[in-house]
This record gives sequence, C-alpha cells and structure tokens, in this order.
Amino acid sequence: MSSIYLLIPLSVVLIGVGIWAFFWAVNSGQFDDLDQPGREILDDADEAASGENTDSRAPPRR
Amino acid sequence: MSARGAAALLLDGHWASEAAGEGHAVFNAEGIRCANCARSIDAALKRLQGVRSVDVNVVNGRVSVAWASTETSLPAILRTVAALGFRPLPLAGESAAAIRRDERRTSYKRIGFAGLGSMQVMMYAGGLYTGAFDGIEPRYAEFLKLTCLLFATPVLFYSGAPILRGAVLDLRNRVLGMDVTVSIALLLAYAASVINTLRGAGEVYFDSVVMFVFLLLLGRHAEMNSRHQAASVSDALARALPARVTRLDGSTGAATTVTLAEVRIGDRLRVGTGQVVPVDAELEDAEALLDEALVTGESIAQRKWHGEPLLGGSINVGAALTLRVTRLPAESTLHSIVRLLERAQSERPRLGIAAQRMASWFIVRLLILTVFVALAWVWFDSSRVLPAVLAVLVAACPCALSLATPVAIAVATSRLARLGVLVTRADAVEGLAKVDTLVLDKTGTLTAGRARLLDVEADPRLGRDAALRIAAALEAESRHPVAAALREAAGAVSPAEGATEWASAGVEGRVDGRRFRLGRRDWVAELAVDQGPNVWRPARGDIVLGDESGSIAAFTIADELRADARPTADSLRALGLELQIASGDREAAVRGAAAQLGIDIARGRLRPEQKLDIVRGLQARGRRVLMVGDGINDGPVLAAADVSAAMSRGSGIAHAASDLLLLRDSLAALPASIRVARRTLAVMSQNLRWAAAYNLAAVPVAALGFMPPWIAALGMSLSSLVVVLNAQRIGRTREAEA
Repeated sequence: MSSIYLLIPLSVVLIGVGIWAFFWAVNSGQFDDLDQPGREILDDADEAASGENTDSRAPPRR
Repeated sequence: MSARGAAALLLDGHWASEAAGEGHAVFNAEGIRCANCARSIDAALKRLQGVRSVDVNVVNGRVSVAWASTETSLPAILRTVAALGFRPLPLAGESAAAIRRDERRTSYKRIGFAGLGSMQVMMYAGGLYTGAFDGIEPRYAEFLKLTCLLFATPVLFYSGAPILRGAVLDLRNRVLGMDVTVSIALLLAYAASVINTLRGAGEVYFDSVVMFVFLLLLGRHAEMNSRHQAASVSDALARALPARVTRLDGSTGAATTVTLAEVRIGDRLRVGTGQVVPVDAELEDAEALLDEALVTGESIAQRKWHGEPLLGGSINVGAALTLRVTRLPAESTLHSIVRLLERAQSERPRLGIAAQRMASWFIVRLLILTVFVALAWVWFDSSRVLPAVLAVLVAACPCALSLATPVAIAVATSRLARLGVLVTRADAVEGLAKVDTLVLDKTGTLTAGRARLLDVEADPRLGRDAALRIAAALEAESRHPVAAALREAAGAVSPAEGATEWASAGVEGRVDGRRFRLGRRDWVAELAVDQGPNVWRPARGDIVLGDESGSIAAFTIADELRADARPTADSLRALGLELQIASGDREAAVRGAAAQLGIDIARGRLRPEQKLDIVRGLQARGRRVLMVGDGINDGPVLAAADVSAAMSRGSGIAHAASDLLLLRDSLAALPASIRVARRTLAVMSQNLRWAAAYNLAAVPVAALGFMPPWIAALGMSLSSLVVVLNAQRIGRTREAEA
C-alpha cells in the first residue's frame, strides 16, 4: 500500500502536465473557433489565401 | 480587467467622442442587476470632478456619461466604474470581439481545470468510500484527503471565482442572488472539509465541491455562448465597414484617404474590387456588380445601374466603382440595423424579469428556512446539522428558475438570425408565437417592388411623351417602385424642382415652372382650383398626373407578386393565421394580388391612419396582429401592431417601428419564424414548470435530511443543465421543420 506515496504524487505531476498542455492549447487559440475549420476543407475556392480576404475587416462569408 | 477594458474603449475611438471640450461615451457595465447598482454608479460618477451628466440604464446595463475634458478623462471614469466592481465594456467593435474571445478562453480554462480537478478528486474520493466500507489505515485516508484538498482548493478559488465574485457583488449591492446561496453552500462544504481533514476526523465534501463547481461552470458556459452568438451578429455588422475610405476631390478628382467619420453627403468615393461600400450611396458609374449578402442575406450578386442606390456594407465584386454619398455613415442602413439590434439585445423579456424577481423573493425565505432547519437538527441530532443545512441550501438554489426564460430567448434570437430574421425587441419572440392575424402591406412587401408601366393615357393637347417626361421628372428622386417604372419608361430626364413625397398620396413638384401632382386621383384633383366640365378625364389609369387646371394624364402600372408569396401565404394559413391586406395602393391592384394569394380580406387606397384603424379594430376584437410592411406609410401601423416586421429594404421609419427585420427582403422566412417562436414559448413554459417543480420537490426532502449534499449538488446542477439543454433544442430546429 505504501506505493501510493509514490503513485499519487506521480499522478499529480501528470495531471499538472495535462492542465499545462490544455492551457497552452487554449491560449494559442485552438478553441477560438470550433465550427469554421471543420467546414473549411469543403470550400473549393482558396479564398483565404488571396490578398483581399485576409483583411480582418472583410466580412465573413455566408 | 478594468485597465484592459479602459484601453480597449480608448482604442475604439468612435464609441467615445470628444468635441468642444466635452467628452461623451456610452459603454456597458457588466454586472448591473438592480436599481441599487445603478444608483451606486450614478453617485460615484457624479462625485468625480468634471462629470457633467450620468445616465445608468438598469435594464440594458448601459452607462452614458458626459464630462468636461479639461477636468477629467475617460480612463478616470472607467476606473471609477471598475472600482465599484462593474466591468466596463465597449458596445461593439474589434476590442469587444477581443474581450469576448478572452472571456471564452478563460471560460474554457476554468471548465477544463475544474473537469480535470474533479476527476482527480472523484478518484481519491472513490478510494475513501471504498476504504470506509472495506477498512483503510487512517494514515492512507489522511493522505488521500490531503490530496483532495490540494485539488479542490484551486478548483474552488480559480474555476469557481466567477461564482464567488458574483456573490460578493450581490452582497455589496444588497441583493440576494443565486450566487449568494451557491457560494454559501460551496464555502460551508469546503470549510467543513478542511477542518475535518486537519483535525483528522469526520466527513469531507471535496468531491461535492468540485463537481458542483464544474457543473455550474458548464451551465454558465452555455449561457455565455448564447450571449456571444447574439453579440457576434451585431459585431459582424459593425465590423463590415472599413475605417478608411478613398475620397475623390470634387474639382481635380485627386484621390485622398480619409477616415469614415470625415465623409460628408455628396462626397465622391472610390471603392475598389473586393472592397466594402462604406455608406449608403448612389452609383456614379454606368454599372456595377455588388454582393449584398451581409446586409440583406441575398446570396447572388446584384447588378446596379447609374444612379441606383448602393447599400453601405455591400461588397463590390465587379470592377472598381465611383459613388456619391447620399447618407452620412451614422445614418446609413447598416448603422440603423446595428442600433436596432443593440436595443433588442439589451431589453429583457418581462417574463424573464418576473422570474428573476420571484427567485430573489424565494431566496430570502430559503435562508430563513435554512436557519430553522439548522436549529431543528441541533436539537434533534447535532451530528447531522451540516449535511442537512448544506443539502437545503443547494437543493433550493433557483438557478434553473432564473435561467429558464433568458436562455430560451437567446437561443431563439440566434436561430431566427440564421433564418434571416433580426429580432430587435426581445419580447417580439413571445408576441410572434401568439399571433393569429397577419396584416400585410402590398407594395414592396408582397410584391418585389419591380413595377412596369403598362399603359399611358394623356390629354391629347399634351401628348403621351410629354406627360411621361413630366411624371418621370417628378418621380426622379423617389424610392417608390412606381417611380422606377416611370423613370425606366421615360429614360433620362432632369428632376423636378422641390419634389415632395406625400405618404399614401403621391408626389408634388415643379417642372418647367408649372406645379404638378402625380398620384391618387382625389389628391391630384385637390390641386385644381377650378375644374370645368370640359376638362379631360382619364378612363382607366390609376396614377393620375394633374396641374392646377385638372388632370392631364394617367398611367397604368402593375407590379408583380414575389415568386414566394403564394407558397408563403399557404403555409401561413396552415399555421392557423388569418391573412389580410392593407395597402395604400389602388383597389384594383390590391384585389388582383389578393385573388392570386387566396386572401379574402383586402383593402386598398388606405392612408396611414386608416391602416392604423384597421389594426386597432382587430385588436379591439381580441386579435393578436402581426403587421408586415416596408414603407413610410406603414410606420404608424407597424408601431401599433402586437408584433411587426419590416422589409430590410424598406424605409428607415418602418425599421424603427418594427420588432423584426426581414433581412432577406422576403416573406419566406415568416412561417418558419412563427414556428420557431411557438416552439420557444413551449420550451420556456416547460423550463419554468420544470425548475419550479424541481425546487418544490427537492427542498422538503433535503430539509428532512434524506438528501446527502452531493445528491443535492448534482440535482441542482442537472436541473440548470436541463433548462439550458432544453433551450438548445430551439436552435437545433431543422430548416425544413422550422
């Protein structure tokens, strides 16, 4: 049973790594838009690549 | 947060304006919930040196301040508001979007942390439960409890921070909101567990605490999403406009870059391919191709000809074009839409506010009850005081009750936005669900407004072409579909002098120095002082041209029904609505349209006040009327109807008077909207009944001590979640069934 003195601190460290990874993912914007990237592969036109539409003020397409 | 909010507000210069030593700003203060909050902001700002006037709106949480720029500044004002515990937020724009993004990220982090933390605590708690049955050495139990404490503490104070902060704010403003009861329950359970852990005896509730925080955060996240969805619509509209535009000099034609705020009526602007038309304007070039998707929802690009109006916010998808500004940016179509939307978002449905009031009344009684329960258990069995008190506090939390209405309305609003219907007053959804009579305007509403000139009769002394030329000159500036038909038939003419449009009557103006009227026969006849028997009279035409000697010509103009008018009318009837037409147009045209649509009650030649009388008459007979219109003449009746909808291409007056805006400029979305509204109402009453039933059932069980705190916590969070998820069903209504 005394193995829990090793295993529980180990799990605490692992969960700490997990939380750090999740925070990093959120902060780097991976959860900002959960809908659009999924649909993007269905768009034929490479609109996002052309100059005009990368302007942040260009309205979103319907 | 406050410093960030202040900086953001300053970046968005157009929300705060400074002129002649006086600054003025309007911003949202997050956290205003009651009259007390508003009073404290008002008092604190008025104590500031140099603040001229303060207006705090409790309903929409909006603060309007005017100050002398020599004596104080916007950051000072925002700091004062922030110091009271309210977070100042700009109304829209880039920085508002950034703030929303940060709010989402923070919410994800809090939920993720609470979720991972709860899993850990549950796991150790599982060990403790098993140990309680199968036997565990105290030193291992102690170790497990300490590990629980290690996780529960940051979950409560980091993830649960918004709940605790809400409670502090409520207490400071002397309100008993649901955050107060929840926080008391959380802190009591946490404190009891910490004490029991440290003294090495008794029950710990860390698992309840973390799970409670996690589930509460899920409910809050869903609520935040609904709020953001609605906000992003208005933000998308506001963001659609460029900050800088290319202006062409009047005489030299040289191009200079100016900010949008510097644009004046009559300016000529250059709009390149792929760029956004910044303001409402007229096309100067011969032709252009424009995508109005953002403004109207119309997906196909529109071809525009010289002199045709361009909507601010549409995108130039053809060659570069030159336009002449007809309306200031602040008065452009897009801005009026944004303003309407902002008004709608801030207004809460009366039903929702009533539920909120009920909740606060509920809590006062609840706290009294909890004290009694605690006293009773002290006398009865003191070892069970804490669990019973915790269970009562948590079981009676009216979260679900307070969420029931606002969540449903928020989801319905965003669902309707996807149908192309902008809800500009929050109680419109409820009204729309209860509607039983639909009164329609004809021109511009049932018809596409694309009228054609079919026939011209003219006094032989004048001649057909001359009559047409005069008529087209009078209508040169008019937006009425009839005018377009006349202009189209006449070709280019110079406009009449002093042409004035009269609602439901016609146009009056001077051509070649003579005074003419064009429009309804009786109104035109009023101009003629003396009508002799030998005066020429038209036989067929409905639109009459006359001068001071009497009528001189008449035109027959017909407009075609919209292609979707008939199927829409059929599906509206299938929903049990009675359809009527009330139009300012001539009887014959109205009857023709009514016959095609299978509508029995149709009246033409109505003045605005007569339309108003019709709707008031229906209301007096207990009908709930939905009015749909587009013109200036529909303004009063739109304002009077129970619910009203305006075509997005209609006049600004119609927009301002309406509860709903049909962005796709078609009636086709109406049946679906009514279905969504009815569903919303059903979901709302389900939610209210469910929430009340849950609280009424759970409280006695908890008070009698039959409910362990963790079941109470689970029940409470689940009841809120049920309400939120039930509301999501409105959003998921498929296009076909909606």
